[in-house]
Amino acid sequence: MLGALAQAGRVLTGRQIAGRGLTVFPDDVFLVSYPRSGNTWTRFLLGNLIDPNHPVTFSNIESRIPEIYFNRDRFLRQLPRPRMLKSHESFQPHYPRVIYIVRDPRDVAVSFYHHNVKARNIPDDYPMSSFVPRFIAGEFDAKFGSWRDNVLSWTVLRQGDPAFLLLRYEDMKIDPACALAKVVAFLRYCSFPGISSGADDLQRAIERSSPEQMRALEKQEAGRWVLTKGTRSDKLFVRSAISGGWRSQLDRESVARIESAWGGLMQSLGYELYSAPTATSVSHRELPS
Amino acid sequence: MSIIVRRIRGLINHLGKVTDAALDRQPAGRNVTVLPGDVFIVSYPKSGNTWTRFLVGNLIYQDEPVTFANVESLLPSLYVHSDQKLRKLPRILKSHDCFDPRYKTVIYIVRDPRDVLVSAYHYALKLGIIPENWGIEKIVPSLLDGTFDSGMLVNPRWGSWYDNVASWLALKDNRRFLLLRYEDMLEAPERELVKVANFLGLTVTPERLARAIRLSSADHMRGLEKLQAAKWSLTKNTRPDMAFVRKASAGTWRSELPPQAVADIEQAWGPLMATLGYELSTAATKPAEIPVFLR
Repeated sequence: MLGALAQAGRVLTGRQIAGRGLTVFPDDVFLVSYPRSGNTWTRFLLGNLIDPNHPVTFSNIESRIPEIYFNRDRFLRQLPRPRMLKSHESFQPHYPRVIYIVRDPRDVAVSFYHHNVKARNIPDDYPMSSFVPRFIAGEFDAKFGSWRDNVLSWTVLRQGDPAFLLLRYEDMKIDPACALAKVVAFLRYCSFPGISSGADDLQRAIERSSPEQMRALEKQEAGRWVLTKGTRSDKLFVRSAISGGWRSQLDRESVARIESAWGGLMQSLGYELYSAPTATSVSHRELPS
Repeated sequence: MSIIVRRIRGLINHLGKVTDAALDRQPAGRNVTVLPGDVFIVSYPKSGNTWTRFLVGNLIYQDEPVTFANVESLLPSLYVHSDQKLRKLPRILKSHDCFDPRYKTVIYIVRDPRDVLVSAYHYALKLGIIPENWGIEKIVPSLLDGTFDSGMLVNPRWGSWYDNVASWLALKDNRRFLLLRYEDMLEAPERELVKVANFLGLTVTPERLARAIRLSSADHMRGLEKLQAAKWSLTKNTRPDMAFVRKASAGTWRSELPPQAVADIEQAWGPLMATLGYELSTAATKPAEIPVFLR
């Protein structure tokens, strides 16, 4: 009864968090990824490109390219259109336009481990080898599914669709200008016909979104940003921002575990396996007889 | 419409939502809290979900036959009860949602999409959400691309038939998953119900199976609908001259669906249909892309 009254109060005052109940408009563009896959970096890049006169910071990102989990639907409905929104959901058929960012799950595991330490979900000395099996099972942020659930659901259903763009975090690291140009071409076709594609503008957006720049902003603003507020201040949200960190941070056993669980999907995304390829085929290709 | 009328409508709509929340009437839907041990009966709409609920319920509940008056308490729908209410009810739940990673035990029912669209058309007429003089071809395009939007019939959040079916089939690994074909259930209900019983870990006897099938037959359900249509949320306030339990058969699309609609459906979804054993009647004009997970 109290729960119902509290909920009524939230509805009355428009304080319901959007989340899965988000109102979706036909010109919305969604930045979707599994957690720790470069979504915030992409938000900075695109926010800095869409409105070059106002650099993105952690204090303004939630009104520029807001995420759906900490913002109210009413607030999001009132934003200027077209909107660009951040989501970690697995496949959502009603998202009209989607940029999906994928990252090597071995690096996601490392980053997610540190993120969970920062969020006080696991202690400092929690063994990585205990974390990885739980990560594979999708125990952290279970509503988003496992890395495989999330990535596979989007790629199987939408790859090849002109309203879907698949981005690899690693490609963005290697050549951000090239990756960003691809995104710009997509956005010009979807909802943002006026977005700049000039080399200077791309370069400026990349510089304003560099890890150094973002770390400096995080130091000043961590207490004000919804994702870092209340987390351990001795640990950074913008961490190493590199690819391949798993090679030094993950033990052999953990690497083998991830690769044996998801090897087929990883290979199809261009992530080379470290352990000998196992007998595990891409099981999603088989249908029940 | 003038801005004042729109504002007033918006306000009424808003207050309605507040009342729903206060009275705990907001259906759980995709915001349902998933509990360990939950079983989900999932399908695209009009694919035999209600029939399956009757079959499963009549198999489980030996003393109380499933009816339209009690089905929402015995095997509740996510779209009828609030999350709070659902916590107090048995947790074999009906869902039409696309793939949801939180569902760990899923009975998924698939039906020939050509029959699904015919059934959806009749239900749309019964609900009064399309004009009476509309032909079936008018609603085919929006059902194909998943944009047909009506709270009770289909919802963009559930995706198109293809999105719904493909999302579950592609992600069936790493969870307990039983695929049922509506057509197989019609052909051999006992055989299919045994699969369900094994899946749910129920020990059954031939008598128990026969009882469940009898109490869930189309004739029996039609009889119940006549008596209880006004009490069931899915038929309440719909046209009483049209039945919810309609033909309960396979292949009616052959006589009811215009050739162009058949061609459009097969063009869009042919490869997945063929994989599921639904024979195509037209040679697709151009080979449609075979879904990644079927290659």
